[in-house]
Amino acid sequence: MGITQILFWFLTALVLGSALMVIFSKNPVHSVLWLIVTFFCISGHYILLNAQFLAIVNVIVYAGAIMVLFLFVVMLMNLNAETEPQKNKWLKFAGAIAGSCLLLVLVAALKDTDAMRQEVLMKTGDIGLIHNLGMVLFRDYLLPFEISSVLFLSAMVGTVVIGKKGD
Amino acid sequence: MIHYFILQAGPVSSVSDTNNSFNYFPIAIQLIFAIAFVAIMMGVTHWLGPKRATEEKLENFESGIEIRGNARQPMAVKYFLVAILFVLFDVEVIFFYPYAVNFRELGWEGFMAVLMFVGFFLAGFYYIFKKGALNWED
Amino acid sequence: MTINHYIFLSVALFCIGIVGVLTRRNAIVIFMSVELMLNAVNILLVAFSKMHYLAAKIINPATQAGIEGQLFVFFIMVVAAAEVSVGLAIIVMMYRNIHSVDVNFLNRLKH
Repeated sequence: MGITQILFWFLTALVLGSALMVIFSKNPVHSVLWLIVTFFCISGHYILLNAQFLAIVNVIVYAGAIMVLFLFVVMLMNLNAETEPQKNKWLKFAGAIAGSCLLLVLVAALKDTDAMRQEVLMKTGDIGLIHNLGMVLFRDYLLPFEISSVLFLSAMVGTVVIGKKGD
Repeated sequence: MIHYFILQAGPVSSVSDTNNSFNYFPIAIQLIFAIAFVAIMMGVTHWLGPKRATEEKLENFESGIEIRGNARQPMAVKYFLVAILFVLFDVEVIFFYPYAVNFRELGWEGFMAVLMFVGFFLAGFYYIFKKGALNWED
Repeated sequence: MTINHYIFLSVALFCIGIVGVLTRRNAIVIFMSVELMLNAVNILLVAFSKMHYLAAKIINPATQAGIEGQLFVFFIMVVAAAEVSVGLAIIVMMYRNIHSVDVNFLNRLKH
């Protein structure tokens, strides 16, 4: 077992464990902290695949966005009271059963397919570098780039219209 | 010969192996050191420090005056618009990194594209400003 | 690593996100679970892009096959940020109206 395999399994265990902690923590503040751990481990996976630009974008975008989420939790929650008054315990149980059924079906369906043994290039390869991605983004994907700025304009307008109190 | 000194990447032989995952090894070492330092410091202070849990020691210290109220009050919700708009302008920066790396190759065409992109963002910023979404006083 | 490792990793992460959406009643935690599902798809796209790159690299060493997959991930992340901003604005409106972020209170359409 090489160092790449060890790192892969280590990061996978961290990702799945911290994702489980996100959804099973009682306190929403703990959920946010575990979500940050999850995103950093996913960035580690990107680095392992040598998708360096995506790793950094993941850290910058999600660190910013998740810090804002964290701010929201602190602002909105009444941290003294027990949050989430559970109405229906059976509903929760049914949700967990449904999710694990989906996992079972997907794993059983994908387990024996032929294309599953193809290798993935780890650690090297130039397509994840910022230079190559930037060339493709500004040459071939110029229109989606401009459209995303329109999307951001609409997101700004939507946020202000929804969020501004009064008038 | 050892190419990797502590936290400093050594000389690389050719262009093809400049950009692989192994370049992130110093960063990984730094992360491990940071986490280990915090964990060891917290553990050692917990383990070595004396614990005399009297009632006066467990009390919150508020500059010597009597404790009033609770610290865990919900904060003002009006701060949220600034926070959300921060996320949007944070993402705008992400688009500039690929442009900055390819600045010379893209020439005037790329410059016009980025100018249009920034123009849309500035239009949004003008709208936000005119709406008074960033005003702290209501 | 082979591609099935990455497929099973992202399937597991996606199912964790689904369980989170179905079981939690806190709107912010539901939002975080949606982000987990988005990230599961992102991991899968990057893994497939590297798989196609490896297959094409054997024929032509200077190829750039599979770079679109990583660009799609980039656009997904960017759109997710816009989605987060509007979604959080909706959650704040909900908090202003019903003074809670519990989605169980959003049952006016039932009565």
